[in-house]
Amino acid sequence: MEILKIGITGTVGAGKTTFVRAISEIEVVDTERVARDETALIKTTTTVAFDFGRLTLNSGQILHLYGTPGQFRFDFMWDILIPNVHGYVFLVDTSRPQNFRASRRLLNYMKQKTQTPLIIGLTHTDCQGAWQPEDIALTLGLVDSNTRPPIIKVNATNSHSVAQCLILLVEQLLKTDFNVI
Amino acid sequence: MIQSSVLQDLLQRFVSSTPDIQGAALVSPDGLPISSILSAEMDEERTAAMSAAILSLGERIGQELARGLVERIFVEGEKGYSILISCGTEAVLLVLAGKAVKQGLLFLETKRLVAEIKPLLD
Repeated sequence: MEILKIGITGTVGAGKTTFVRAISEIEVVDTERVARDETALIKTTTTVAFDFGRLTLNSGQILHLYGTPGQFRFDFMWDILIPNVHGYVFLVDTSRPQNFRASRRLLNYMKQKTQTPLIIGLTHTDCQGAWQPEDIALTLGLVDSNTRPPIIKVNATNSHSVAQCLILLVEQLLKTDFNVI
Repeated sequence: MIQSSVLQDLLQRFVSSTPDIQGAALVSPDGLPISSILSAEMDEERTAAMSAAILSLGERIGQELARGLVERIFVEGEKGYSILISCGTEAVLLVLAGKAVKQGLLFLETKRLVAEIKPLLD
């Protein structure tokens, strides 16, 4: 069985590093540095290269998880990571509407780089002011509910929730004419 | 507040000192530009982000593969060298040099520059 490479992406503070840390069975290779830009308003550290984690599913299928940086200045890292993944999770912090434009821009960027399956993971859904999934879909430009990728709420701090999200993505991969598994 | 003109002058002097040193940039560890002398076709923001990314990975290798504290990252290309060196906790220095540069001189000059910059950032 070939290893499945899964990308975890999204804008700053969406929960990418937390997501990978929650589920990885190895100590995550992370590249956190103290944040000096506007990121510092949200959190103290930020990913500057990538997070790498690994997960083995019950079927024996191995997933390699690659978390990307969130800021646009790291677009070269997206270019390295995203075209090589079999599928990816696009995380959106539902409680920070000021980031939705950046999310939409990032999603369009990723879609230009790769046609592989994706799912939208909604984080911070229990926070005050969190938007509803349907509204998020519209802000991301995913207007047609028949053709858009699956949207799932995910608690990036909870391994069970993260696992469900990844299983949904793997199911998406199986649905396509994907011949790896 | 750091006098950015002082840093800029230091970098300028460093780049002008040897014809084979072609550029230098000082960036924050999270990949933001602080000060730079780069040729026009190099984007300062991207350069800063790339420098931070590769230094972080290099330091990770030093740590996980038991190479100890990383002194510098050295990228040898067909046309020249890129050196990344940590400038304390606040900055990373990138130096670009041509293939003809004498490596010993390059390392020495870079070390000197780091020693000059460090106290300004603390």
